Amino acid sequence: MNTWSAAVLIARKDLNLYRRDRTGLLLGLLLPILLVAVFGSVMKFAFGGEGGIPRVTIWVCDEDDTAASQKFIAALREVSMLSVQPRVKQEARTAEDLRSLVVDGEAHHALVVGKGFGEALANATEPQLTLVRDPGRHMESRLIGIGLMQAMMSAGDGKSMSWMMGSMMQRFGMSDEGVDRMRTGMDVIQNLIGMFASGSEPKLRAPDAGDVDTKRIDMTSMFEQMVPVTKEDVSPPARPKNLGFQLAQSVSGMTVMMLMFGLMACSSMLLIERDQGTLRRLLVSRAPRHAVLLGKFLFCFIVGMIQLLVLFAFGELVFSIGAFRDPLTLLALSVTWAAAATSFGILISVWAKTAKQAEGVSTLLILVMAALGGCWFPIQMADLPWYGEVITRSTLTYWAMEGFQGMFWHQKSWTDPVMLRSMGVLWGFVVIAGGLSWRLWRRRFAGT
Amino acid sequence: MTEPADLLVVDELRYSYGERVAVKSASLTCRRGEILGLLGPNGAGKTTLLSCIAGLLTGFGGKLTFDGKPFLPADDAGSRARLGLVPQELALYSEMTAKENLAFFARMQGVPSANVAAAVQRGLDLSGLVDRKDDRVSSYSGGMKRRLNLAVGDMHAPDLLLLDEPTTGVDPQSRNHLFECLLGLREQGRTMIYTSHYMEEVQRLCDRIVIVNEGVVIGVGTTEELCKQAGSAEGNLEQAFLAMTGRSLRDES
Repeated sequence: MNTWSAAVLIARKDLNLYRRDRTGLLLGLLLPILLVAVFGSVMKFAFGGEGGIPRVTIWVCDEDDTAASQKFIAALREVSMLSVQPRVKQEARTAEDLRSLVVDGEAHHALVVGKGFGEALANATEPQLTLVRDPGRHMESRLIGIGLMQAMMSAGDGKSMSWMMGSMMQRFGMSDEGVDRMRTGMDVIQNLIGMFASGSEPKLRAPDAGDVDTKRIDMTSMFEQMVPVTKEDVSPPARPKNLGFQLAQSVSGMTVMMLMFGLMACSSMLLIERDQGTLRRLLVSRAPRHAVLLGKFLFCFIVGMIQLLVLFAFGELVFSIGAFRDPLTLLALSVTWAAAATSFGILISVWAKTAKQAEGVSTLLILVMAALGGCWFPIQMADLPWYGEVITRSTLTYWAMEGFQGMFWHQKSWTDPVMLRSMGVLWGFVVIAGGLSWRLWRRRFAGT
Repeated sequence: MTEPADLLVVDELRYSYGERVAVKSASLTCRRGEILGLLGPNGAGKTTLLSCIAGLLTGFGGKLTFDGKPFLPADDAGSRARLGLVPQELALYSEMTAKENLAFFARMQGVPSANVAAAVQRGLDLSGLVDRKDDRVSSYSGGMKRRLNLAVGDMHAPDLLLLDEPTTGVDPQSRNHLFECLLGLREQGRTMIYTSHYMEEVQRLCDRIVIVNEGVVIGVGTTEELCKQAGSAEGNLEQAFLAMTGRSLRDES
């Protein structure tokens, strides 16, 4: 027999074996399809804005309630990169409601259209706009700035352009005389905006106004600042200054996801005990049979806690994330998440018939839950339909992320209702998964 | 009060895996201080029978009596403490040393902390692994692992030791060592149920033999009694076994 024939024979044999492992085969084929479907859907909703720009949620309150303010808000709803809340048919919120949302971390930006907005617009003067915001959300801030400009231009019937530009240039230090001269160059600016909207790189040149402090002009953020708004920053006082939202998101996301991956070994532990025969010996021993399952849970839980401790210590050491600011909250969250992730691993362990099945299903679920739960990017950014909201909230990772982000970013304590809710959901899972695991364990392993 | 002579009584035990009947009706007694051999072709139901006795399988029909009392090891840790199991697989933690394996299983069997060291020493003596006690099991030969497998099953000096083909894949020296260990335990008055495919092993070790075929006990007695029952040459257990169970090939499912 030559090498090629032997190789073909071996490959045929392996293909036959592969075909016979139906669960493995199904996982092998379904895994990529499912992952593409999940990630594709999430990305579609997350980056569904024009040109693939993420859609940013902004809450709006119309205190002016005039035709002009309504037109402005309607124009804001048309901006593809924004998702305006509350939606048209939903109940309007007051300015105080919106402030509470930002304070509680339920929203990161809220716009209050003040009284006199319509009148100011008619007189081509600066209207009263207040932006309540979480100052750490830089990316969203910039996108909202651009969105406000688009809406204002659209709603202002061309009248708003002059005061917007004038106001902006005054902030950059231009004199009144210069502002007047600049207005003559509006056509040029309009052209630039057109180029920006089409996605091409604008070749900007400072207007020939003479007395502008060009050092103060940040051309990359020029459009974001065009609509003058009164900024009202709301952030927890204890939040470390160097902690950016993306860093907090990364630390939380990686912590949540890596713990699940770290505990993947849980999912095949019982199967290994069974295959090497030690499980029979343990079951015949004097020890209560449920102690075997509890022992596995305990081991994985301890390993999980150590992993979390190492991750947080590293985060604190390298990034100064303020992990140990509130030790009680950190402990409560860590215990909760380690217990939930362990329960997940144990449930897979008692369900799977082979180690291959256990590993395949664990990988699939961990990746899907990580994406849907917001471990990779803030899922709140995605403008999800109702069923998307239901699906994301059905994942363990969503609630874990809510907890860890609540602690790191919003600096919430474990007694905060949001934190209690997320921990409550996770403990609910621990109880349900524990019950299911127990039943499966008795039926499939313990023989009782 | 005198102890009953029969340590274990299995009365019309029945067990099915779904539709497939593994044990149709098995009745046997294991007397105190004897080694009872359990012989049968592949798929005869020996391991199922042993698993029912050990409490690894539940939902079986019939009755188990231990020391004159109903025996439910699956539900009662106290009952399980009276059993020791030496499974067919090498049920050991290969990345732990012999000493660590012995100590772990001694504790799992409820040996008091103060007595664990003595139990470990007894296990090391029994397995002949005193010199290699601190080596990982993964570095042992097949025979050494088998010896340790036996010692672990006997850590807590159980009333009844269940041995499921304990000499599989063992060289003659280690097999002989295992036999001597088992005979030594019998000398101490210990009771054992021993399953094997090797007739000479059963003939050498066992006081009485139970032959199981297709889930039914078809013969019980000493080698001589079984040979007489089968009408085969005196002392040839293999001939008696074949005469009773037939010569057709058996396949385990």
